[in-house]
Amino acid sequence: MIEIYGLNKIYDNRVEALKKITAKISKKRTAIIGRNGAGKTTLIRILSTQLMPTSGYALINGLNILKDEEEIRKKVSCIPQEARPVGLLTPYEHILIYLTARGYSFKNASEEARKALKEVNLWENRNTPADELSGGMKRKLFVAMALASNAELVFLDEPTTGLDPLSRLEVWTAIKGLGSDLVLTTHYMEEAQSLADELIFMENGTIIKQGTAEEVLSEFKGKVRIESRKPVDNWKKAGGLYIKYVDSEEAHEYVKMGYDVKQITLEDLFFKYGVEIES
Amino acid sequence: MVLKLNLRFIFAMGLYYGLYTITRGFSYVIASMSLPLTMLFLIGIISRGYLLKYAVIGGFISLISTNALSSAGDASFLRLELKFQDLLVTTRITRIDYMLGLMLSYLFFSLPGIVIYAVIGVVLNLFTAFRAFVLFLIMLSLLISETSLAFMIAGMMKHIRNVWGIVSILSIILSVIPPIFYPYTYLPKYVLYILSISPATPGSVIAQGVFGMQPFNYVMLIILIAETAFYFVLGMNFIKWRES
Ligand SMILES: Nc1ncnc2c1ncn2[C@@H]1O[C@H](COP(=O)(O)OP(=O)(O)O)[C@@H](O)[C@H]1O
Ligand SMILES: [Mg+2]
Repeated sequence: MIEIYGLNKIYDNRVEALKKITAKISKKRTAIIGRNGAGKTTLIRILSTQLMPTSGYALINGLNILKDEEEIRKKVSCIPQEARPVGLLTPYEHILIYLTARGYSFKNASEEARKALKEVNLWENRNTPADELSGGMKRKLFVAMALASNAELVFLDEPTTGLDPLSRLEVWTAIKGLGSDLVLTTHYMEEAQSLADELIFMENGTIIKQGTAEEVLSEFKGKVRIESRKPVDNWKKAGGLYIKYVDSEEAHEYVKMGYDVKQITLEDLFFKYGVEIES
Repeated sequence: MVLKLNLRFIFAMGLYYGLYTITRGFSYVIASMSLPLTMLFLIGIISRGYLLKYAVIGGFISLISTNALSSAGDASFLRLELKFQDLLVTTRITRIDYMLGLMLSYLFFSLPGIVIYAVIGVVLNLFTAFRAFVLFLIMLSLLISETSLAFMIAGMMKHIRNVWGIVSILSIILSVIPPIFYPYTYLPKYVLYILSISPATPGSVIAQGVFGMQPFNYVMLIILIAETAFYFVLGMNFIKWRES
């Protein structure tokens, strides 16, 4: 369980990446979704004691990130965004280094490494230098590290960004094998839905929605999205398109006018709340 | 505060990141030996063997300095590109464990060069047990002080591209100007003291004293010990363990 109280982060360059966030994360698996720059990484790095907040605090299973970092670090594992393995080291060696850092003996570390590498299907490659692994295997290695850590809580920051669809599915399978509580970030909607019980939608340093996929989309219930490529007065501009939400009964009117009609997906949160960056 | 070290982690880093990578990335090892070996050759030829001793003893010091320099790049790479440092922040190790683990790996990484120099030193009959021991301690202090400087640089970097320029300037300060390869008495006293801001200077002066090549200088011994402690603390404070 994570309790967040007025968490605020202003970087040196005066960017306010988190705007006094207050929230409670109590489900087993939570996905933080949001576009690039929404503040996901900042939030994760603060919660996993890598980064100090400017103000506010959070409790991780009752432990305060400001005062109890030593205790928290025993219980939490965090795989940073864009983490990459050390090219010359093998998967097995990565896990051994990581687990000794987490206080394991060599014997236990070696045992856990074996289990985790088998679990994520990397056992065959345990002695291959990481340079020679595919992109998907590299990501699975990090999931294996989190798995082997037996942490109470695991943070995965964009674990599948940039992977091809097949590799992504493999990483998902590996992630589903994690027994611990999980907080992951992603901008893939189907990933959030497939891996998490609860979604947190962030934009511009704030949490806009929290709940199940159905809950966060409740405002769109019974609606469809109408899209136009050309500007239409009072429609919202979203990524080169102009969009409008209407009741599904009215949809056929718009079809007649030649507009595209789309079913609601989680992406509509982005369309609706995304701050359009003018160019 | 009691200092609790995670010796297993430090050892694992030394073993895997230092020792094993020697066999897998041997080109890096060769690269790290190229400066001292070039100097050995040049100094030997130009001085017709007269300064050969300096080239050998200096070679030991230069090996450590060269590796310390590449460690600035390495530590920046681990932090900024691989996010390896962030990965380890959320574990039980402290920043001191991390620094010591990397230092041990760099020491192991220097081993092939050290062995080559040791062989040359033995052939030229330069060593006694005492001299070898003192030389080892000097190298250890240089490893600690110079890689701490490297961690400081790595901690201050925002982009990996900035590190290379700084490294090339630092390499002049750490491994070219100090009296590593020539008698320290060639330098005017005040220049010697200015140069002693680089730990390689007191390190070389002490080595030249212990090997009977030049008079022993006690002030430099104090400077080396003080700098080792000072730079280590500096590295600790700048390494950006938990960022603010
Ligand atoms: N180290 C940093 N220094 C300055 N600004 C930063 C830093 N890290 C992130 N930011 C800024 O903070 C905002 C949130 O970034 P981030 O937390 O990385 O978002 P996300 O992970 O959702 O993409 C962005 O505007 C980003 O440019
Ligand atoms: Mg991010």
